[in-house]
Amino acid sequence: MNEIVLECRDVGHWFGSNRVLNEINLQVAAGQIVALVGPSGCGKSTLLRAILGTHPPKQGDILANGRKVTRPNRDVGIVYQNYSLYDFLTARDNVAFGLMLDETSLLTRCLKPFEYRKLRNVHREKAMAYLEKVGLAKAAHLFPAEMSGGMRQRVAIAQALIMEPQILLLDEPFGALDEATREELQLMLLRLYQENREAKQAGVKPPYTILIVTHELNEAIYVSDRVLGLSQYHEGGEQGATIVYDKAAPVFHPGDARNFEEFERQKDELRNAVFDPEQNQHHAEYVAFWQNLK
Amino acid sequence: MLVGQPIPLTQRILLGATCILLLIGAYTIWSETLSYRKREEVANKLPPLKSELQTIEAQLASNPDDSDLVQAKQDLQDRISRVERDVLAAKDRRVPTWKTLYTDGLLRVTEGQGLKKNEYWLWEDSKATASRLISGMLAGVVLSLGLGILMGAYSPIEAFFLPTLSFLAKIPPTAMLVVFFILVGVGEDMYVTMIVFGMLPTLAIAVFQSAKKDVPESLIYKAYTLGGSDAELIWNVIFKQILPRMIDAVRLQLGPAMVLLVAAEWMVAGEGFGYRLRLFYQRTDMSVPYLYLMILGVAGLTMDYMLIFFRRYLCPWFGE
Ligand SMILES: Nc1ncnc2c1ncn2[C@@H]1O[C@H](COP(=O)(O)OP(=O)(O)OP(=O)(O)O)[C@@H](O)[C@H]1O
Ligand SMILES: [Mg+2]
Repeated sequence: MNEIVLECRDVGHWFGSNRVLNEINLQVAAGQIVALVGPSGCGKSTLLRAILGTHPPKQGDILANGRKVTRPNRDVGIVYQNYSLYDFLTARDNVAFGLMLDETSLLTRCLKPFEYRKLRNVHREKAMAYLEKVGLAKAAHLFPAEMSGGMRQRVAIAQALIMEPQILLLDEPFGALDEATREELQLMLLRLYQENREAKQAGVKPPYTILIVTHELNEAIYVSDRVLGLSQYHEGGEQGATIVYDKAAPVFHPGDARNFEEFERQKDELRNAVFDPEQNQHHAEYVAFWQNLK
Repeated sequence: MLVGQPIPLTQRILLGATCILLLIGAYTIWSETLSYRKREEVANKLPPLKSELQTIEAQLASNPDDSDLVQAKQDLQDRISRVERDVLAAKDRRVPTWKTLYTDGLLRVTEGQGLKKNEYWLWEDSKATASRLISGMLAGVVLSLGLGILMGAYSPIEAFFLPTLSFLAKIPPTAMLVVFFILVGVGEDMYVTMIVFGMLPTLAIAVFQSAKKDVPESLIYKAYTLGGSDAELIWNVIFKQILPRMIDAVRLQLGPAMVLLVAAEWMVAGEGFGYRLRLFYQRTDMSVPYLYLMILGVAGLTMDYMLIFFRRYLCPWFGE
């Protein structure tokens, strides 16, 4: 039961003579939390923008939920590093914002204000539930300007999650946060993964599929169940970066101890396959996620 | 005291009040000095008349039955009492005292004037100027905000309008007045058109720039991922996000709009603040103009604070 929610087919992208992405082939199944790592400037953000649909790739196709992505739409969610929230809405209304946009239209809100009011209360209740999930129920009435970076990022995550997107993209979401907040948010991702596993056991489609870009190898291995390496250090790398690493990562329960020493073997492998400029050999042995699964 | 160090509110109020009091005090001294000098000038005519009267009285004492002398004395006494009245009534009209401002300014504009005593200047001028200003501002603001936001949202619209608007924004609106007088005529429509075109280029560009700069593209993209339509993006994201900045931009346009309106009224109107100012300027009588200036200042401040209040009420997230 591996429903593919995101697929990249031979995706390539370039800016003038600067070839950034080349022959990216990728499938992500529902319920996976995939970490994407790679050297700085290799094109991780470019790939995310292509999947999001704001900057479609110059070559190849990207399918979300089986449909070709040509512009940003509600199948693909996004959380930016700079915790972009709507300044004019409180935390609760920021989270409820997507429900309002998605389930009502400007016209119906104007023409049927009373029905909309009822619906809005439903939306707000649901938003409160999501705020609780990210541990922010107390801050529901605060405006973004009154929140700390970590709080804003949690609101941004709840805002994206409430839409139940087919896939949620996180571009270095915890990059600007302090260590303690980072750990809390990593735990939050593990709890989401826990929900995925419970759903799988119950035989329903797991609710959260996440693609997370990070600079931190420990974080990548810790929060994900699958690590992707994007790099230009491979055979034919002058044509652009491609997927050079794709393997499962150990799965943690939220309560487990964070013992990063266990990660050393995989980190070494990643450094070797993804971050080493001398590594120009075949990388096929590292792209083994689906084979290993079988 | 450190650079940029704030002060407590009471001190702030005290300092502000001191400046106003100093201004009032300086004006009082200036106006009283000028009217004192004016009285002196008139009073200087008295001593020669009085000494003339004494000589006539001396001649009368020796010659009581001379009717010519009696008549001359009578005339002289009349002249003296006239001058004495003039001394009391003497005032300087360029810098009127507070009392003159009240009697010749406030009372005159609030009491019935003209042959039929049916002209109430303050009421009529306020009505004319306010209705011109408000309808002009309303039309101008609605048009400019709409155009500015559309320019910010759609590059083709921006590309179409921006060069022309930038060019028009550089022509002083007062210099454009002649165009409006000729093309629109000097009716009430002219004032509205003039204010609209006077503020549109600057305000639309300010709104457009805010829509570009103050709405990060990440917020736009995100709204699409949250299922927003194009119309919802414009209204629920761009408009809401830049509303406080638009209100501030409108506040900045209040001054120019009033300049333009008063200038146009000065030139062609038959009522209104500008018209009344010109009338009294021609008589070099400042008692009404000073009063009108004060009213204009207070009205401008009131509108400004109303907009600030409006902004705080609508956009509590924006801060001060
Ligand atoms: N708008 C653009 N115009 C031209 N070149 C661009 C543009 N955006 C990105 N690039 C180039 O594409 C390459 C990849 O950039 P990208 O931002 O995707 O890297 P990244 O992997 O996200 O890096 P980082 O880890 O530092 O965030 C870089 O060489 C960059 O210079
Ligand atoms: Mg990046």
